Amino acid sequence: MLPESRVAILRTALYLFVIIDIHLFVRDPIPLSRHPELYQPLLIERLFHLPPPSVPLTITLYLILMVGCLVAAANVLPRLAGAVVAAAFTWWTAIGMSYGKVDHDHLALVVAMWVLPTVGVIADRWRSMERSAQAGWALKCIQISVVFTYFLSALTKIRSGGWSITSWPESSILMWAIVRRPHGLGQFLLPYPELLHLMQWFSFTAELTAIVVLWLRGRALLAAAVFWMGFHVFTLAILYIHFAPTAICWLAFAPLERLGPWLRRVKAGRRERARGRSARHPVPVLRDQAVDSGG
Amino acid sequence: MGQGVRGISRMSYGWRIAATVLGIGLLLSGSLRMSDDLWPFGPLSQYAFSPAKDETIVITRVEGLLADGRRIDLPLRVESAGISRAEIEARIPQITADPALLRAVAEGWTSRHPAEPALLKVWLVQDETRLVNGRVGPARLVVLTTWELPS
Repeated sequence: MLPESRVAILRTALYLFVIIDIHLFVRDPIPLSRHPELYQPLLIERLFHLPPPSVPLTITLYLILMVGCLVAAANVLPRLAGAVVAAAFTWWTAIGMSYGKVDHDHLALVVAMWVLPTVGVIADRWRSMERSAQAGWALKCIQISVVFTYFLSALTKIRSGGWSITSWPESSILMWAIVRRPHGLGQFLLPYPELLHLMQWFSFTAELTAIVVLWLRGRALLAAAVFWMGFHVFTLAILYIHFAPTAICWLAFAPLERLGPWLRRVKAGRRERARGRSARHPVPVLRDQAVDSGG
Repeated sequence: MGQGVRGISRMSYGWRIAATVLGIGLLLSGSLRMSDDLWPFGPLSQYAFSPAKDETIVITRVEGLLADGRRIDLPLRVESAGISRAEIEARIPQITADPALLRAVAEGWTSRHPAEPALLKVWLVQDETRLVNGRVGPARLVVLTTWELPS
């Protein structure tokens, strides 16, 4: 049972982020659709018999996404606009992943697109004072997806290392990644393979224990969020890997519902200060008034 | 100041619980048993492999010969070639079997660099760096295949 205003605010943030996402991160469906010989459809595309991408198709998807996201970000027609955006965005991102490289930073955002419409119409949008299990479920799904992005990544490392806990952290993976980015900051770390192993153990442990975030509250939750934001900033600096689509979904953990009352307090404070300033202006006294009319 | 609570029917509650169980199950199964093909339920396998201490690290590149005689690197990024390095790397066997697939890079680069002289020929090359006992060792350039653009 969580506040519906948190969902309303999160909708605005995430649908606007999707607009940024299709311009900055998954920005290759339209150029890639010019190369049909390189298209290798994923299971999701084969299962639904989605037509192979062509330039008119990807441009149409782009336009649908732009309009749908703007409408949904305004919390207007949340079920219709939300469903359209969910389907279009999933297909758009799938296309971006059907030419050889599958990225793994979109799980939380794609899940968010599908669960946000299920909360339905929120009457007062950002100012809603209602709470509901529907809002709670949607937010929990997004939170689980964020945490799973880290946790399943650790499980996949264990699996790919032949079901061993040590093979990934002890491998030369960071060295491999840094050598492949010859002009990055990571070059300074190359002469220190033991330091790289330490960093690998640290990130692996963080990912494996990420699941506890689902049970954290208050300061502990804030600390976890700050830690993971720092983690993403670090991998961005060393490896040019951002995980922005996952990072933005951390907002599902944040008490966004406090934004409304906070804004009201700020506005009221400003009004008080303005009134206080005008009260200090000297009011002209026309004439001394006798205290009592008698002499 | 009380907060209203929106009611939820048993059906609504029920399908949500079922969907959550299904979703978590698919995700766990995807990471533990499946492949990338199952996106978005596939394994989160970015950087999830373990190169050995004596691994050979390979950077795949495309080089091009221009009409003015210069041999340049054609950066494999979406904004300069319309296709990224990862996508070319995933297709190396297909490209060595049919070098004409490099057309994608050649056309992508040419359309984005109209002021440059014409591309005559492209090479698919790899910079190989060998790791020795976990440290960076000797490097060399390997040419995988080449394709001449039809004039």
